[in-house]
Amino acid sequence: MTPPASPAASPAAQLPATPRLASAIAAGDISAREALDACLQRIAASDLRVNAFTGHTFERARREADAVDAMRSAGAVLPPLAGVPYAVKNLFDVQGEVTLAGSKVNQKNAAASHDAFLVTQMQRAGAVLVGMLNMDEYAYGFTTENTHFGPTRNPHKLSCTAGGSSGGSGAAVAAGQVGVALASDTNGSIRVPSSFCGVWGLKPTFGRLSRRGSYPFVHSIDHLGPLADSVEGLALAYDALQSPDPIDPGCHAKRVQPINAVRSSGIKGLRIARLSGYFDAYSTPAAARASAQAAAALNATATTLWPDAALARAAAFITTASEGGRLHLADLRTQMQDFEPLSVDRFLAGALQPAAWYLRAQQFRRVYRERVLALFQDWDVLIAPATPLSAPEIGAQWLDINGEQYPCRPSIGLLTQPISYSGCPVVTAPMWPGSNGELPIGVQLIAAPWREDLAVRAAQVLQDSGVAHLKSVNL
Amino acid sequence: MTDSDVLNYVKATARLLEIPLDEARASAVALQLGRTLVMAGQLEAFSLPMHEEMSEIFCPAEFPAADPEPEAL
Repeated sequence: MTPPASPAASPAAQLPATPRLASAIAAGDISAREALDACLQRIAASDLRVNAFTGHTFERARREADAVDAMRSAGAVLPPLAGVPYAVKNLFDVQGEVTLAGSKVNQKNAAASHDAFLVTQMQRAGAVLVGMLNMDEYAYGFTTENTHFGPTRNPHKLSCTAGGSSGGSGAAVAAGQVGVALASDTNGSIRVPSSFCGVWGLKPTFGRLSRRGSYPFVHSIDHLGPLADSVEGLALAYDALQSPDPIDPGCHAKRVQPINAVRSSGIKGLRIARLSGYFDAYSTPAAARASAQAAAALNATATTLWPDAALARAAAFITTASEGGRLHLADLRTQMQDFEPLSVDRFLAGALQPAAWYLRAQQFRRVYRERVLALFQDWDVLIAPATPLSAPEIGAQWLDINGEQYPCRPSIGLLTQPISYSGCPVVTAPMWPGSNGELPIGVQLIAAPWREDLAVRAAQVLQDSGVAHLKSVNL
Repeated sequence: MTDSDVLNYVKATARLLEIPLDEARASAVALQLGRTLVMAGQLEAFSLPMHEEMSEIFCPAEFPAADPEPEAL
């Protein structure tokens, strides 16, 4: 193995990609403390421009890194992510830190007494937590234009949005600040920043990972998952995060189903198709090119239709508004002025929605589930763009999709919302369709519930073929 | 339903839920709710038999009893 460059060679040098870094630490080529120091230097050198972080846990990180180095010195076998720096969207509880969820309102809350379940899982895997990441307030947005903490900027073009609501997570990985970041996805909040920032993301099956210790948005749709700098890093993190959790009523997984071991199994025998219809209608030419490039690399010549995509998007929109609005009703009554100006009207509208709309959406969801499951009788992996276009400029009010104008902030999720409402797992692959100044557009690799293994196998093929990858940034 | 109807609904339900809204805020909220109204209409037009129950704590599919056979991959 080629040893990683010395972190001291350049104060802002990027660390090697996650799997290579983990191997280097395990082999003793670099200590966890050295890796952490390089990570912190990178953050210091870049985050004034990117604004991915809202808080740091550097002292904790030093303790965790030193514990890894002590284990190695003692001859212990290191866990899979030993010494790998990572960060979390600031809706995860981190012991001793206030869980902001991107808000001003939460700043008065007490600090978390325990880590979130998934933070504990990462710690068990040896990962080193360096801080908390920016997001849209209460996860209600697709752009991370956060008035309280400032917008997170896209590392590939600082005038553009990083996507959201997990924009800090996408930007931190794209900027080389960390190799892995944890995030949430209700309507696309892992997949959109993955798409706009050009990194890998995994929205697991709904109910796969415990959400205990994370700040909720929409209980019936919230997912948690990782973003990473490589398919290997994504799989390592996802496997580390898995564990049944009987205390979380939304955690349906009964056992761990690792994917890293099957990641390189190839796609021979898999039935792969590209989604057309609704997904073509809401794709700009660049997004369509990204999807076609992925299909070509996966030898997917067929197209198929996702059932009731427009209705599912409508139902997801209504469910989100109603549950999200209700969740914050008490604070909306008493401190509306402290809410994010860009989303407070949507929270209010959701709180006022007729119950009949919400109940109709939930009734539809059962029927929808059966139609989606039926589709996967015929297919193993389905391909679709993650976003209709590449990252818009910060402050954009409207999106132009094939000549039609759509309100920017709620419409970025047009292609992700139908999928997450079905609960299906999705790997987002960073594609570079070559338009709009080389900004990336992600492609969704969608599998049936509980079949993350199939999506990650397709992802590995895309990475190996060279069409899906990260690009370095100059910051 | 007219824009004015939506605005009146917003003002009435906000009072019911004790959410203080000034005129400008009520109009902004009505704009958002009007967009949702269009989507609610789409769902309403979808044929759903009376006996269809709502989703429970949503589970996308039953968790598999066994892992996939390697041969089947």
